[in-house]
Amino acid sequence: MKYPKYQYRSEELFLFYEFNSEGPKGLIKKIVEYTATSTENVYNLGFGDYDETTQRINDLSITNNGDSLKILATVASTVYAFTEKYPKAWIFATGSTAARTRLYRMGITNNLVEISADFVVFGYNEEGIWEEFIIGKNYEAFLLTKKDNKFVV
Amino acid sequence: MTIDQLNKSKVPIIVLDKKLEKLRGKVLFPKKLKKANEILTKTGLPKTKK
Repeated sequence: MKYPKYQYRSEELFLFYEFNSEGPKGLIKKIVEYTATSTENVYNLGFGDYDETTQRINDLSITNNGDSLKILATVASTVYAFTEKYPKAWIFATGSTAARTRLYRMGITNNLVEISADFVVFGYNEEGIWEEFIIGKNYEAFLLTKKDNKFVV
Repeated sequence: MTIDQLNKSKVPIIVLDKKLEKLRGKVLFPKKLKKANEILTKTGLPKTKK
């Protein structure tokens, strides 16, 4: 994505990523997690605020730290890192609310040319079918994988 | 690496942090994982050309 992004940290398996949102509300720790699903090679992308005190995640919080594009770009950047480590992986993503899912859709739409250079993106439509992402259409969830994988499943 | 270089790179430089290993094996987003599994079980992966 062409937006600025935060530098982030990961662990050896590249399944967890952590970075700090910086803005008027201060430093807010964010966690991105890739979890294996029940389908081989498909990972769920989870993302939210990490509360150090309670050691819990909040994926419903609205931070209002004035950096939502930067955060989205950082999360997108972890997709590149993750698929470098797991090139055959498919990544499933959906928002924790309908509004968040729309935000993801906007993020994909605004960067589709760049994303499509490396990945193929699918949307889960209202008929319950995966289709290649169409700009302007509503989706409940998204899947993406490296373009090289599209024809080998 | 400068912030400018970081912002221009597509594949990022990763800083490893051993503290994150404490999260290994945990599922931080169980509701999303459940939803992913439900959709994948019901619909599978997109139909792709061989």
